[in-house]
Amino acid sequence: MSDIPFKNPGWAGNTGEFDLTEEQVRGDDFVGVRPKHGGHASGAGTLPYMHADKHPDAKLFEGEYGERFDKILTRYPTKQAALLPALGLAQEIRGHVSPEAMDRVAELLDLSPAYVRGVATFYTMYNKRPVGRHLVQVCTNISCNLAGADEVVAAFLRYTDTEIGETSEDGNFTVIEAECLAACGFPTCVQINSRYFENVTPTEVPKICEHLKAQGE
Amino acid sequence: MAELIKLTIDGHDVAVPRGTTILEAAKTIGAEVPHYCYHPGMSSPAMCRLCLVDVEGAPKPMPGCVTTVMEGQTVHTQSEKARKNRQGVLEFYLVNHPLDCPICDMSGECNLQDYVHDEGREQGRGREPKRVFGRDDFGGDVLFYGDRCVMCTRCVRFMSEVEQDHRLTVVERGDRSIIDTFFDEGLDGTNWHGNIVDICPVGALVSKDFLHKARAWDLEHTPSVCTSCSQGCNIDLHTRDNLVQRIKPRENLDVNAWWMCDHGRHNYEWMNHGDRIEAPLVREDSGSRAVDWKSSLSSILARAGELGNQPVKAVASPFSSNEDLGALAQLVGALGGGETTFRSSRAEAEVPLKGFPTLVRRRDLAPNRNGAELIGFKRVGNDDGFGGLDKVAEHDGILIVLGDALVDQTPDFGSKASLYIYLGTHDSPAARNAHLVLPVTTHAEHEGTFTNHEGRVQRFWPALQPPGMARPAWLVLGALVGELTERSGPRKATDAFSSLSGAVSAFGGITYDDIGTRGAVVNESVSLTGD
Repeated sequence: MSDIPFKNPGWAGNTGEFDLTEEQVRGDDFVGVRPKHGGHASGAGTLPYMHADKHPDAKLFEGEYGERFDKILTRYPTKQAALLPALGLAQEIRGHVSPEAMDRVAELLDLSPAYVRGVATFYTMYNKRPVGRHLVQVCTNISCNLAGADEVVAAFLRYTDTEIGETSEDGNFTVIEAECLAACGFPTCVQINSRYFENVTPTEVPKICEHLKAQGE
Repeated sequence: MAELIKLTIDGHDVAVPRGTTILEAAKTIGAEVPHYCYHPGMSSPAMCRLCLVDVEGAPKPMPGCVTTVMEGQTVHTQSEKARKNRQGVLEFYLVNHPLDCPICDMSGECNLQDYVHDEGREQGRGREPKRVFGRDDFGGDVLFYGDRCVMCTRCVRFMSEVEQDHRLTVVERGDRSIIDTFFDEGLDGTNWHGNIVDICPVGALVSKDFLHKARAWDLEHTPSVCTSCSQGCNIDLHTRDNLVQRIKPRENLDVNAWWMCDHGRHNYEWMNHGDRIEAPLVREDSGSRAVDWKSSLSSILARAGELGNQPVKAVASPFSSNEDLGALAQLVGALGGGETTFRSSRAEAEVPLKGFPTLVRRRDLAPNRNGAELIGFKRVGNDDGFGGLDKVAEHDGILIVLGDALVDQTPDFGSKASLYIYLGTHDSPAARNAHLVLPVTTHAEHEGTFTNHEGRVQRFWPALQPPGMARPAWLVLGALVGELTERSGPRKATDAFSSLSGAVSAFGGITYDDIGTRGAVVNESVSLTGD
């Protein structure tokens, strides 16, 4: 049996009847954190990736992240076009996109800081404020809502003792509502950092949280 | 000329060049299509959805600001479909609008107010609470009321396309969208941001200077010309209670289009300055004595007659109109001739408006330097507008100073002059040794013309009542010239200008009618030194 103490740890297919681990299903390359060099240039900047360990004061776009930033630039015809992945990279390093990060991105891409702020605030997947180690995004759109997403949200808030958008005292959790996560077949869907937890019910919430705390991921 | 396209708008046949938008074509028959985001000086994003017009054959209403005309098209701006559509769009605009018109500065000149009054629903159907943003200080002269904003993004586009300093942006999305700069960056340090207050169709961007100062419907608008540099931006002086309350740019595509700089916009308090000289003053041993115009002018004529043909030195100000300067030049001629000079300050550098390159805050910080030079005045002194008058200060003949306050001169300036006349608005160092001080009006109080940096003669009109006995300088000087030459002096500004155009070839053949509200360029090429 899998050593994961709850069902569906983030990929469709495991209904608890398989012994396969996530590694076995997806292959080593896909599991855990994205390699720091970002992989092949064609995939160097796609979705903002969320790590449990965040370094809000880390230097932006230096060292291997500098190389990755250069790799991102090679994918686009103009510097302006690289804005979204550049912001995504900043978020991967620091956990959120701070005003300083926007300013730095603006400087590197020859844009005005105001323009970068406009773009960063338009997209909800960029965190404009620091979040906990685990950013819990509970889908409350229609399918999940019908399956009781509101109770799931309430369970997370009860467990973490926070309000929506607040970070728990131990710095582990920030719970927010999300619009459709495109997993309507497995309600309620919860995205925690970059992974999906599907068919989540309120009773499972403490288990998931304990697991995350223990694993740190 | 591009190919003409024929179409029908509201039953009128219209022929406009290919590429014209429906909104602009409708303007030619006087049909105004309501709009927010469209502005003739900027790109059209077609995002306000208010200019949607009913085009026959089109499946949906078309945005008039970006849809170009097509041959044989039939457009209805007032059909049931078009009006119903606008009513719906306006209802959405009011979903979150605070309707705080009674305390809003824009009230009375607000497009939202006008459009809703014309075509909106009588009663709103919204029952939800409105979202509240409060207000934000953008720095400079601009205050932002987020709740009133209709998100037309004219201000954002002005800053990025016309001023070309991308300071403003739309932050957040959906009904949380607001206009903002990069956090606390603000608009400080930009030179043209006052224009975003003008182009804001609602009361979202308001001027701090004008905040709660006057209601729009109480203001008189008088066309005038900005005096802050030699660009000569066309402006309207907005006055109430005989005070200038604010300056707004007046459209003139040849000069300033729809824009003006912040410096010029806020440089109006001097027109409201009190402490004016209100009567002609004669200097006597015991002090100054107020006299009437007739005796002051006849005493000048009598004294000039006694002195005979003494050399004359005249110092004028480049803030004087062409008419004033022309009359002064004629007076100097009638008194036997002499030297006519002026001083004017020049800025270190010019401040261009990048998106409209012919509009520049010029180095010459006076409206009529070119006029003075064309009329034969010689520029003396330094770029700070001071110095250059050493010989004039010691002059022992007739000395006439018009407008220049001479704040840099020593107390004995003109003390040796046999006759020293000062024509000015305020008591100033120039009046110290003057035998006669004559009260004249500012450009806001009389009619006249300035000649701008490119030699364009532009008219301005009186916006304020002159204080006391103050009269236009051209009237005073013209009367003296009339007496000396035994002709009748000018009664109206147009007389003064025609006498100038008869005397100075550069102005030859130009009349007030030619100049109109758009200006007319002088016959001679003008020196653009340093511009």
